[in-house]
Amino acid sequence: MERPLSPFMFPVWYRFQIGSVLSILHRLTGIALTVGSILLTWWLVAVAAGGGLFAATHAFIASPIGTLLLFLWSAAFYYHLCSGIRHLAWDAGYGFEIRTANCNGYAVLAATALLTVITWLYVLL
Amino acid sequence: MPKTSLQDATALRDETMLRRVRHLGSARDGLKEWQVQRWTALALIPLGLFFTISMLSLARSEQMTAAAWLGSPVPALLTILFLAALFGHAVVGLRSVFDDYVHTRTRLIAADLLVRALAIILGGAAVLAVLKLFLGR
Repeated sequence: MERPLSPFMFPVWYRFQIGSVLSILHRLTGIALTVGSILLTWWLVAVAAGGGLFAATHAFIASPIGTLLLFLWSAAFYYHLCSGIRHLAWDAGYGFEIRTANCNGYAVLAATALLTVITWLYVLL
Repeated sequence: MPKTSLQDATALRDETMLRRVRHLGSARDGLKEWQVQRWTALALIPLGLFFTISMLSLARSEQMTAAAWLGSPVPALLTILFLAALFGHAVVGLRSVFDDYVHTRTRLIAADLLVRALAIILGGAAVLAVLKLFLGR
């Protein structure tokens, strides 16, 4: 029998809740960061190899698409980090009350934005 | 503490054995991945912050600058530790996503094997790159 599975429930049947949105974002950023680790490896190998490979990699990173990817990667990293700390707190038994969980959910989003902006200000200035 | 009689203990053991034969019981290693996910997560808080900030600062710099940084002892060590935690965390994390959305046993095993193989190859290549820079200083 065909039963509806959770991803298909999301946009149609569920009203917006910060908890479920953050939970899905945690997974999506986790997958994105894993894909990003391919680029990370590429960069490390390019630095070690030098020469033409490094020149090509460097040109890609400095290009608008490369810079955008780097920015998105850093935002995904900070989100996964903050959200991950929230998960670790749950594992330790803290923050299960709905009000608390909703509050620190929004705090995770704010911290992500703040850390991303601070990091890029530090990197670029 | 209630004492279990010999008969109860035997019944309990038999039931556990039967459940295990029928693949219903605990394999007693289910917590391993859960723990790996948490320990690598904890390690990645400092290591990830360190590497992300350093990497973003270096990403636009010249090869010599990046190579000199990656080849110096402390960054080399922390980068290798970061890579180990990162790929370990990624393997367990992706597996838990597959567990939820891949419903065919064969596909689940294939996806898991593919991710593990990729993680070993990528992780190996990245560590080798750092080692080359460190040893070739």
